[in-house]
Amino acid sequence: MSEGLSNLGLLRRMNWIMLVAVIGLIVTGVFFIYSATSLREDSTSDLFKKQILWALAGLVCYLGTAMMDYRKLRDVAWGFYVMALVLLVAVLFFGTRIYGAKRWLMFLGVGIQPSEIAKLAVILLGACLLSPPAEKFDRLPSLWKLFMLAGIPMLLVIKEPDLGSGLVFLPMVAAMLYAAGAAVKPLAMVIGGGVLAVMLVLAAVALPERLGMTPEHQETFFQTIHLSDYQRQRIEVFLQPGKDPMGSGWNKRQSEIAVGSGGLTGKGFLKGTQNILGFLPRTVAPTDFIFSVISEEKGFVGSAAVVVLYGILAVCGLYAAMVARDKMGRVLCVGIVTMIFTHAFVNMAMTIGVLPVVGIPLPLVSYGGTFMVITLFALGLIQSVYVRRQGL
Amino acid sequence: MPHGETIQHELSRIRLILALMAGLLVLLVGFLFDLQVVRGHEFEESLHQQSLRRVRLPATRGRIFDRNNVCLADNQPCYCLAFYLEEIRKPGKWKNTVAEVQQRIQMLTALVGRKPAITEDDIWIHIRRRLPLPLVAWRSLDPAALARLSETSCDMTGVEVYVEPNRSYPNNELAAHLLGYVGKADFSEDDMAGYQYYLPEMDGKMGLERKFDSVMAGVAGGRLVRIDATGYKHEEQIEREPRPGANVILALDSRIQCLAESAIRDVPGAVVVLDPNTGDVLALASSPTFNPNQFVPIVPKALWDRLNTDPARPMLNKAVAEVYAPGSIFKPVTALAALNSGAVSAGTVVNCPGYYMIGSKPMRCWNSAGHGIVDLRHGIEQSCNVYFATIGVKCGSEAIADMAMQFGLGVKTGIGLDRDAPGLVPTPEWKRKAWHDEWRNGDTCNFSIGQGALSVTPLQMAVVAATLANGGVVYRPRLVLGLRDVNGTAITNYPVVEVRRVPVSSSALHAVRQGMYDVVMAPTGTGKHARIPDVEMAGKTGTAEYGEKEDRKKHGWMILFAPYDRPRYAVAMVVDDAVSGGQTVGPRLHGLMMGIYGKTDAAGREGG
Repeated sequence: MSEGLSNLGLLRRMNWIMLVAVIGLIVTGVFFIYSATSLREDSTSDLFKKQILWALAGLVCYLGTAMMDYRKLRDVAWGFYVMALVLLVAVLFFGTRIYGAKRWLMFLGVGIQPSEIAKLAVILLGACLLSPPAEKFDRLPSLWKLFMLAGIPMLLVIKEPDLGSGLVFLPMVAAMLYAAGAAVKPLAMVIGGGVLAVMLVLAAVALPERLGMTPEHQETFFQTIHLSDYQRQRIEVFLQPGKDPMGSGWNKRQSEIAVGSGGLTGKGFLKGTQNILGFLPRTVAPTDFIFSVISEEKGFVGSAAVVVLYGILAVCGLYAAMVARDKMGRVLCVGIVTMIFTHAFVNMAMTIGVLPVVGIPLPLVSYGGTFMVITLFALGLIQSVYVRRQGL
Repeated sequence: MPHGETIQHELSRIRLILALMAGLLVLLVGFLFDLQVVRGHEFEESLHQQSLRRVRLPATRGRIFDRNNVCLADNQPCYCLAFYLEEIRKPGKWKNTVAEVQQRIQMLTALVGRKPAITEDDIWIHIRRRLPLPLVAWRSLDPAALARLSETSCDMTGVEVYVEPNRSYPNNELAAHLLGYVGKADFSEDDMAGYQYYLPEMDGKMGLERKFDSVMAGVAGGRLVRIDATGYKHEEQIEREPRPGANVILALDSRIQCLAESAIRDVPGAVVVLDPNTGDVLALASSPTFNPNQFVPIVPKALWDRLNTDPARPMLNKAVAEVYAPGSIFKPVTALAALNSGAVSAGTVVNCPGYYMIGSKPMRCWNSAGHGIVDLRHGIEQSCNVYFATIGVKCGSEAIADMAMQFGLGVKTGIGLDRDAPGLVPTPEWKRKAWHDEWRNGDTCNFSIGQGALSVTPLQMAVVAATLANGGVVYRPRLVLGLRDVNGTAITNYPVVEVRRVPVSSSALHAVRQGMYDVVMAPTGTGKHARIPDVEMAGKTGTAEYGEKEDRKKHGWMILFAPYDRPRYAVAMVVDDAVSGGQTVGPRLHGLMMGIYGKTDAAGREGG
């Protein structure tokens, strides 16, 4: 009981700026989910209410994890990791197929995305493995070990298929290793290998002749790496915008028009004429393309403000890493910040056509229950590290 | 490294990560600034002054031809009036847009001259599921309506005459079961995840239209057109050419198909004509039938309900999907099994007193007076049940089942149509499983004369006839000769497939063929009604009972091949509710063969 009270007391030492940024993003999300769905007369029109409930549940988690001592997670990291793997395997067999991919597990009427749970599990495990309690800082587990441990869930996620979400693992693990003091050379080699692999895929899509690939080779290659037709189309559109102006190119262009036509101050809340829902597959507007709605209705002022809020999250999160009491806290904060940052950056960049369209959500803003709760849980961990910072 | 230094080292790395992230975010803000502030006015203009219209260019669906290049499934241009809902879009809720569309439909109804084929629900479905595609309000506009539309002063923004190729079947019912039909494509939810813009509007729903849908559909193209506020089209730049689908060339001979259909037009039944030298399906008909033209683009519900509740089942292709007891047309197979086993020879004689004793129960021959002393040739000509029961028991049911399977009974023919029924060749093992009962002598007797659990499709019996005709080679029925591109260049040729040679001696086969010759050509033959002048033919009739005990009916069967020496046609026909194979089917095959050999005029009358 007294421990509970003292933990409650710890909350006063929270990073309040970060909490304000978090709430700012959530509130923005709720408003624009409302805007994106209010014009629809079907069941999606009450998504914003569901989002409020998810956010409240997430905030409870947030405060809970902030009070909890993150060091206790050492005992459960492996268990959590194994559970995430089980869920990822389960989704391949029992997952609900929505729009072509098996990404959801229906559990008591609620859809869970195991891929989001797996990301957090890998961060937790990484933080534990990279900070041996015996303070033997030079004895890092080999790079390969962590890459393998991250690779298994990553491949399972790609197999769903969810390429975008799967690729998020790479920068996450790389940043954690780097922050933990891994030697730069092997790390760079691994990262370089990853970049090379991505380049190879891009080249196989766009310039098969240059690689000496026949169409049959190309087919086999794409089957081996589980690149589906629509992913290929999106990459092609990104690399050659003129290629398919009627189909996928049209959507990219319309998204750009929506963002561009927002101008400096936007058209006003609920006044987006481009109406994002009209040209995008109806599932993604309140989820992956929410930033496009914000940019159209609130203009550069609005979209830049969202970017700044993520900047604040990154600064606060990495500040927590720097003042952390121990190495586990440091690595944990870096992993979480990188996960959230990667999602946010890739999502916003694809909305404005700077990156190919990959289906990953905008953290705290896009509609989605699992990701909201997981993100808030993760941000709660950062607070947990922060309230126990050194020099107190 | 000392501890403190390590930490400093790690902290500097974290600062570097922070710097990298900050840099990326600044870059992002830069992109946003460029897109929204620097170039923002471009997009604003593009919204206010013009709109881009995506015009879908439908692909021409591949056509279906018979072996002589007669077109069986064609395309007709169909003028439609379509709405582009993205352009008509009213601010606010979609309800407003739907109201606007309905108002415009009302205005245009006067011009077109008839009510549109769509309801408010259709508009809603279109908005939810296929918004970027034109919403077709009227199909098949006549020239007068087109003229009125071109001169109207009504607000025509977002409205366009749109030409859609429509499937048409120039010969109406001809080969309807084989061709199938096309209908509006259903987009699955999965398709919606990608981009539905090029998805076909129509897809094959049955028969060859469905089987070859992917090759015939082609791929739609599209062009971008810039339209200003007055409706003027600024640039018409083809962005992607549609790719036409491949043509399908059938082995079918539409002349023979037509004759075959006439032969059974008035009765439920089926008929198949094969080329015994290749397995080519020259005709394959099922009666009653339907007219696929009435199905395009949408099947009227009343018609659909009528066709599907009709007890004669017009939608069913009875030639491949319905199984029947073959009755006596199976006897040539029994004869070959017995000859092959060595248990009997062509000279073996049996006395038929009009019944055959199975234990203490008599099985009646159809001629209750008895056929007297019969040998193989007479046994076949007279279709003597006692003769076949006797030789069947002598060689045993396994030998008969084995021979039946050699002829391709009991398995799918592999013609490649949906619901190619395998039928059933009964064995003791099967009976144990299905009936939990022992195989008895009575089962062997029934089996020998084509009764009992044995069941076959008309196509399978045509393959049997073709195999007897060509000297023992089972060919896989070939329905499609190949695929051709629009220029007529071959894409695929489907070869003749020899499934197996039936292991029978030529003398045994000769004996059976002689019996079948007499069936048609002898004055007392059961199939004499099928005879035609100048052509020697061989065949076998059959009659099989079916239905409830109180209301027994008979299927009339006949298989036939012609000419006897160098057969070119192998035929199987079955008719429901017949008197007998010889009396009901014989005359129908007579008519069919007269037609095939050109001995009738166009109206089916026999010349001098």
